Amino acid sequence: MSAHNARISAVKESSEWDLVITRVFDAPRALVFKAWTDTKHMAQWWGPNGFTNPVCELDLRAGGAMRIDMRAPNGVVYPMKGVFEEIDEPERLVFVSSALDDKGNSMFDVLNTVTFVEQRGKTELTLQARVIKATTQAPQYLKGMQAGWMQSLDRLGAHLASIPGAK
Amino acid sequence: MNDRLSETFGALADPTRRAILARLASGEASVTELAEPFAMSMPAISKHLKVLERAGLIARGREAQWRPCRLQAAPLQDVAGWVEHYRRFWEESFDRLNDYLQELKKQDSKNRKKEKKHVRT
Repeated sequence: MSAHNARISAVKESSEWDLVITRVFDAPRALVFKAWTDTKHMAQWWGPNGFTNPVCELDLRAGGAMRIDMRAPNGVVYPMKGVFEEIDEPERLVFVSSALDDKGNSMFDVLNTVTFVEQRGKTELTLQARVIKATTQAPQYLKGMQAGWMQSLDRLGAHLASIPGAK
Repeated sequence: MNDRLSETFGALADPTRRAILARLASGEASVTELAEPFAMSMPAISKHLKVLERAGLIARGREAQWRPCRLQAAPLQDVAGWVEHYRRFWEESFDRLNDYLQELKKQDSKNRKKEKKHVRT
């Protein structure tokens, strides 16, 4: 695809800016909702492959704060804070999340709306995200984040190669 | 404060402005041409164009009368970078969530079996 065509399709699809992801999880809705709202569970899955969450605090009420420190495989910590806007158990969760710079200032404020729909024992989850504020530091942050990811992919590659029988 | 990325996102949040950008992606156009598909007054369209111009998403020609509008794609790249980054963040998180949920389900059924045994004895 030429750069020009790519540009046109990027302009035409509004979804390019309202990120929408839908995923069906093979688990009952109550459990999926719990995985989102119980710190014990959330710390186990939040973040890309290879990341851990040494800090994970949720004050689960409208106006309540969230605080997560993500740690990349290369040791870099990405702090994040947020505020719950709506908690409608077990079907809807709305929160603003902010990636912080090293001074604790927000670089991105993102409004996240998560809906949970029961489907005969499975759960269809939809995440809608929209940036409501971003600073000029944000593009640099993205580059750093990308580096953290590449490292985790490298580790995954090395891990797979070390499994006997894997090519 | 120079906060262009926020302005870009703000400018893109409006469907009329997105439609204007979509039109400009196929070539430059005059304000009259841009206003045509919308049931909107010229001042309303001009307001939208000003927002887009401030965000650096369009540039306007110097010719006094016609002043054609042109798409400027550079800020869109930052936005596309964010979206790509965030999509990956969630795709990978959801993979992990899925694995974790399966683990929880396994534990849960184990616990239930234990409870049943308890009741029997």
